[in-house]
Amino acid sequence: MSLNEVWQAASASPYTPPVSKDSQFFVGFSLLLAAFILTGLFGLNRSFLSIASFGVPASLAFGFGAVFIICAVGVYV
Amino acid sequence: MRPFTALAALCGLFLSSSNSLVYADSTPSSSPVALPRDFKPPQVFKNNNLVRNTNLEKGYLRETVNVVVENVDKKPQSDYYLSFPSDLYDKVGALEVRDKSAPEQGRFEVEATEFDSNRDFQYFVVHLPKPLAPSSQITLGISYSALNTLKPRPAAISQTDRQYLAYAFSAYAPSAYTTATQKTKIKFPSTNVPDYTTTDLTSGADPERQGATYTYGPYADVAPETTYPASVRYEFTKPVITATLLERDLEVSHWGGNLATEERYWLRNNGSKLTDNFNRVEWTISSYQQLPSSAIRELKIPLKPGSVDPYFTDDIGNVSTSRYRPGKVPNRDASLELRPRFPIFGGWNYSFRIGWNNDLSAFLRKAVTGADSYVLKVPFIEGPKVPEGIQYEKAVVRIILPEGARNVRYELLEKATSNGLPGANQIQTELTSHKTFMDTLGRTALTLTVEELTDEARDSQIVITYDYSLWDGLRKPVTITAGLFTVFVAAWAIGNIDVSIKKR
Repeated sequence: MSLNEVWQAASASPYTPPVSKDSQFFVGFSLLLAAFILTGLFGLNRSFLSIASFGVPASLAFGFGAVFIICAVGVYV
Repeated sequence: MRPFTALAALCGLFLSSSNSLVYADSTPSSSPVALPRDFKPPQVFKNNNLVRNTNLEKGYLRETVNVVVENVDKKPQSDYYLSFPSDLYDKVGALEVRDKSAPEQGRFEVEATEFDSNRDFQYFVVHLPKPLAPSSQITLGISYSALNTLKPRPAAISQTDRQYLAYAFSAYAPSAYTTATQKTKIKFPSTNVPDYTTTDLTSGADPERQGATYTYGPYADVAPETTYPASVRYEFTKPVITATLLERDLEVSHWGGNLATEERYWLRNNGSKLTDNFNRVEWTISSYQQLPSSAIRELKIPLKPGSVDPYFTDDIGNVSTSRYRPGKVPNRDASLELRPRFPIFGGWNYSFRIGWNNDLSAFLRKAVTGADSYVLKVPFIEGPKVPEGIQYEKAVVRIILPEGARNVRYELLEKATSNGLPGANQIQTELTSHKTFMDTLGRTALTLTVEELTDEARDSQIVITYDYSLWDGLRKPVTITAGLFTVFVAAWAIGNIDVSIKKR
């Protein structure tokens, strides 16, 4: 099977990104804002329980938020 | 210590997958075939009829040769030698040989041979897919372009003068075999041809003139590698645009759903140089009157529909003399119109970069052959579309796939006619790692290097397949997540250390 046939066979499944270009800034900014607030809440009480309740969601929000915001500003990673 | 162990294990999980990044083999273009000293192609073929069409309408030479070949040996033969004069051999690009009666069957394998300075002629070997039986015939369609063969004469002109190019060739088409009948048709860009060689090789006028087409021949029974020097000089008041180097990057982003293209050009005008200093007043007058000029005034680059965010910069910074006309998805092309900072006259150089973005959905599909398999189809070369054509001495096309892409395979699409590209064995391929923003391992980059290319390759396309799993995609956010998580754990752990001064 030539690669062009692979391309034609896949005509029904064009790639769609997880977040469209138009909403990248909104999603990225919201996640970074959430990360900022959660980090602040963790800072109020730096207990082991806070790591689980605030630290983990803040880390995840920052991780994905950073990726979307860098895409939103034109550096497509 | 337990959280640190957990974190180390987490990081290890994602970073250890670097071992699974399998690169396909990098392949240099195949090395030329070595021929013995004083090699002469065995006389097993005869050219029954040969028609050479020389096209001089663009700033480079484009030739198609249709030849009826007969096997005059007693055994089947499969290696046909194409001979080129030594001074032309290194300039030949996009060489393609097909069966003229069945062009849809694709190109034949062609191999270059080692350059031997002792010989007047150098050879390419065409491997016929099926050996040609004795006394049977095949019609070969041979096409190629040759760069930097057209010389401006006079070599220097004044700013508003007309420009003329000279082309030196042999009235007998170069061939490694005896040719029964042959003729050469030369197509000029206009009827203004002040100088051309006339011969007494035929009974009538030679060349025979018909508008902008001059026909040398027909000549009968020409021995192998016989030459008859001839030259023509014709008007070409257009720039001879040459890109000494083109670097083209295509960057695929799954997270951003974007295909980013950047092209970096090192342009030179190979036309006549200026005899005097540049005169701004004369230039303004001739521009206002839209007179033809040997200088590059403007470059128009058609872009795919849906192209956005174009930019045009050079060493100084943004060049504001550009215009962008967005196209309409799905059919109408966008157009990027560039005006360099200064008109580029003969011998002058200009280097710049342009770039733009496209939605990835038009170029990338999820392949049905595998769960994590993707297939990408992108233009191999875009670049300016100008009537005078562009020759690229070297083009480096780099396709930057997402971080973690593996099992990379590619294919340059063939058409029923020439796609303007040389055979796969003349293209150098390299698979490397390219590190940029937010990368841990580096992105998989497929680099294709082609020499002696022309803008005939504008419509050529490349299809690439690669495997890219969900974990590969999550590597970026998870690495950043792990980084911030480490900060939280460190803040908690350091906060728990008891540094008070008291009795324990």
